[in-house]
Amino acid sequence: MLAAVGPPAARRPDPQRYAMAKQQQTVLERQYSRLGLLLIAPTVLVFCAVIAYPLVSAIYLSLFKIFTPTLEGTWVGLDNYRTLLVKGEFWTSLRANLIWTVGTLTLQIIFGVGMALVLHQNIWFRSLARSLILFPYFISTVVAVLVWKWLFNDLYGILNHLMISAGLIDWPIDYLGTMPNAMISVILVGAWKYFPFVVIAVLARLQSIPDQLYEAARIDGAGPIARFFDVTLPQLREVLVVIIMLRAIWDFKEFDLIFLLTGGGPVTSTQTLPLVVYKEAFALNQMGMAAAYAVIMMLIMLVFMILYMRRTQREDT
Amino acid sequence: MLRKIAFNLFAWSIVLMVAFPLFWMLVTSVKPQFELFRRPPTILPETWTFEHYWKLLSDTNFLGYFWNSVILSTTTTIVVVAIATVGAYSLVRFRYKGRESLAFLVLFTYLLPSVVLILPLYLMLVQLGLSNTITSLVIAYTTFALPYALWLLRSFMAGIPEDLESAALVDGASRLGAFWDIILPQLLPGIISTALFTFILSWNEYLYALVLVNSDDARPLTTGVMNMLISSFNIEWSLLMAASVMMSVPLIIVFAFLQSYLTRGFGAGGVKG
Amino acid sequence: MADVVLSNVHKKFGTFTAVEDLNLDIQQGEFISLLGPSGCGKTTTLRMLAGLEFPTSGEIRIGDRVVNDVPPGDRDIAMVFQSYALYPHMSVGQNIAYPLKKRRVPKTERAGMVAKTAEMLQLTPLLHRKPKELSGGQQQRVALGRALVRDPKVFLLDEPLSNLDAKLRGYMRAELIELHQRLGRTMVYVTHDQLEAMTMSDRIAVMEGGKLQQFAPPQEVYRAPANRFVASFIGTPGMNIVDGSLHEDAGRWTFTAPGFSVDAGQLGPDARPGPAAMGIRPEGLTIGSGPIQGITQLVEQTGHENITVVRLEDGLRMTGRTAPDRLWRTGEPVQLSIDARQAHFFAEGPTGKRLNRDVCTMDAPGSNGTSLKEATS
Repeated sequence: MLAAVGPPAARRPDPQRYAMAKQQQTVLERQYSRLGLLLIAPTVLVFCAVIAYPLVSAIYLSLFKIFTPTLEGTWVGLDNYRTLLVKGEFWTSLRANLIWTVGTLTLQIIFGVGMALVLHQNIWFRSLARSLILFPYFISTVVAVLVWKWLFNDLYGILNHLMISAGLIDWPIDYLGTMPNAMISVILVGAWKYFPFVVIAVLARLQSIPDQLYEAARIDGAGPIARFFDVTLPQLREVLVVIIMLRAIWDFKEFDLIFLLTGGGPVTSTQTLPLVVYKEAFALNQMGMAAAYAVIMMLIMLVFMILYMRRTQREDT
Repeated sequence: MLRKIAFNLFAWSIVLMVAFPLFWMLVTSVKPQFELFRRPPTILPETWTFEHYWKLLSDTNFLGYFWNSVILSTTTTIVVVAIATVGAYSLVRFRYKGRESLAFLVLFTYLLPSVVLILPLYLMLVQLGLSNTITSLVIAYTTFALPYALWLLRSFMAGIPEDLESAALVDGASRLGAFWDIILPQLLPGIISTALFTFILSWNEYLYALVLVNSDDARPLTTGVMNMLISSFNIEWSLLMAASVMMSVPLIIVFAFLQSYLTRGFGAGGVKG
Repeated sequence: MADVVLSNVHKKFGTFTAVEDLNLDIQQGEFISLLGPSGCGKTTTLRMLAGLEFPTSGEIRIGDRVVNDVPPGDRDIAMVFQSYALYPHMSVGQNIAYPLKKRRVPKTERAGMVAKTAEMLQLTPLLHRKPKELSGGQQQRVALGRALVRDPKVFLLDEPLSNLDAKLRGYMRAELIELHQRLGRTMVYVTHDQLEAMTMSDRIAVMEGGKLQQFAPPQEVYRAPANRFVASFIGTPGMNIVDGSLHEDAGRWTFTAPGFSVDAGQLGPDARPGPAAMGIRPEGLTIGSGPIQGITQLVEQTGHENITVVRLEDGLRMTGRTAPDRLWRTGEPVQLSIDARQAHFFAEGPTGKRLNRDVCTMDAPGSNGTSLKEATS
């Protein structure tokens, strides 16, 4: 309410009054501020201990060569970064990471929006259908991976059986052990697991589009397809941008799903950056190098994160 | 009418396709071992059996893992939601220096990848002598659960009209009195949905459990069940599917009774993937 | 005795000045309205009185103490919010009892006080309902009940009627006036509705841009607006304001606008020759005869009178009241005259000061003139 009108600066307050205007806060106001700080103190303490300190030391670690089992390190400066950037592994991992992110994100968005449009209609047992769709999102990645590994099983898996009996293939497919099958499988399972997020977010937005808009479009002679492109899609644009940014960030840093499904294999063809960090630190015992990978990865993600945060801040105010 | 039926059939066939893996998990878990290798496979089991569930509970350490997960997720949820509730109150309803940048920091860490924090956290917890304990996992889970819970609760808190608190103050309550009498009851649905999300996140977490815990005494379900897959010479799919079903039990309960809280959480601030 | 005093109160939000150098002293038992358009600082002022906002500088007194550092609950005030702010999880009875509970009134006494208040506001059958089960008017009465129950020194009301429909609003207005007379407590009432302010208040504080424009009884605000802003804000239909210039000739002033001029007679000491504005209320205009030529542009029939808008030759529009038996057609040429005795003259600018010399003799605060209510309705 107060933001509407600016102060007309007709008369300057005299100096004495100006000095008074700069007066300190009232006692009560100070008490409130102190209470506010007290209430946020646990958060700040935890943040410093388990987030800020580790974040800084991750950067610090990346400047050392550390052998994980003994945790003994020697200062190497920026050597880790230099090695990393000339090593092929970083670039192939980055490539795998981008293929995975773009692939799974695209499918999530397409399936998610499509499914949301379907669920927005008045279908039978809608809430049951919604629960079923939502479920993959909430189950543990471990469960999802076990189930899919069983579905993908080359000898007894139902997927191979169905495809053979449908005449699509003659021999069982190795879904996870060869390329490009492994990447495609990972992308598909990722899409299956995470598209419900898009469904729910889009569905919530769809339900908030006022009916008058559709009525007006109908009066103006728009058919169902025109109504989708002229009414629905523009209304969804905002929420889609937010979803895409969020999901891009989360998919980019996905570890569990890929690690558990393929472990980065065959060889390193589905090895994304988070997997390299893990491998360097705990399989190759190169803690310093792992930290360097993690820092580089964070820098790449920072672009998206800043974009998203700016947007959120703008909405906040 | 015909169009409507056709559309419904179309919609439901997609829904069933999406749900099929879960259906298959359930079916496999109640099939006897020999039926798994039947060609063609049976869609519904010819003989129903719960032997795999019995075996899971008696022959494996599943119950131990389950118990660890319950303690771990409950502790994390209580600690995180308690800190985040007062933190969110402070962030939304108080004015002090640095408040804006703090809110910004919360969002930043909400998006931060775990692999960046895991290396120093590992070193820190090893040095503190906490590795291989549930405590170490509670500490580690705080790194993703606290920013997440704060972010959610912050938007729930912002949805409570400020006038309510003002009215309580005028009526003679102190700030904390107003928080207790008025804000907390209003925030309760938000707290429940934040707690559910935090619990589910902790229940499903894998990476920290993998890195920080290497003993069955503290191992939660995610890594425990995965170990059962890796360590067995001959993979018993029925057993693994039974484990998967059991592992999803808390989730099924939430879905059956508290789903509205989950949808509310979605509305409040998006969901961590 | 002054009951509520604001001295040199400033309030800034960051770089934005919400209230600037506000001085008000409110007598015990007075009904005061803070009136102005949204964003004028009236709600901020009320919230500072309540202790919900803190003045950047200046002093606030309630009774005989400075309350700047006193928490809202200890200021001996009660407040009714525009949104009612009823506690949704508490029943009507619990809502009304809450301020008593917070003041550690014994439980047995509490029940009696709640019952008495509920009785007075006809809420007795609703005591066990939750706020969301009540109509808007009922919620409003609960909010009042929560304020009344502890018999505070000062009542603060923040647009309490603005969420009610027109008929209920009129009814509640009468209720509030009666309540004020019965309790004899100081009431500070924030509103953007001039009708509410004019009919209910002993004095009105008109605010704009964070600054107090005039603080006077309703008649004075209407008849002798302190400046151009107050003049244009008060009255429906609004005062006709014409930009022009003033000239002096041997102590007599003349106001000249494009198309006509008015003999302003003697003006106050602040009058200067040059650009100025003249204001004339619709009732100061005679339509049908006079020296000014115009064409009727719009005629609104309200039943007991007609509001006629006349367009002058150079595009200027003037609004007048005419008797319902003489109806002009749209587009008909008419003559117009201005009653110079009823004209106000203002210095240049949107809040230009009133320049007239005469100040209406006013009744003492507390007795509203009845003639005005007709004039503003």
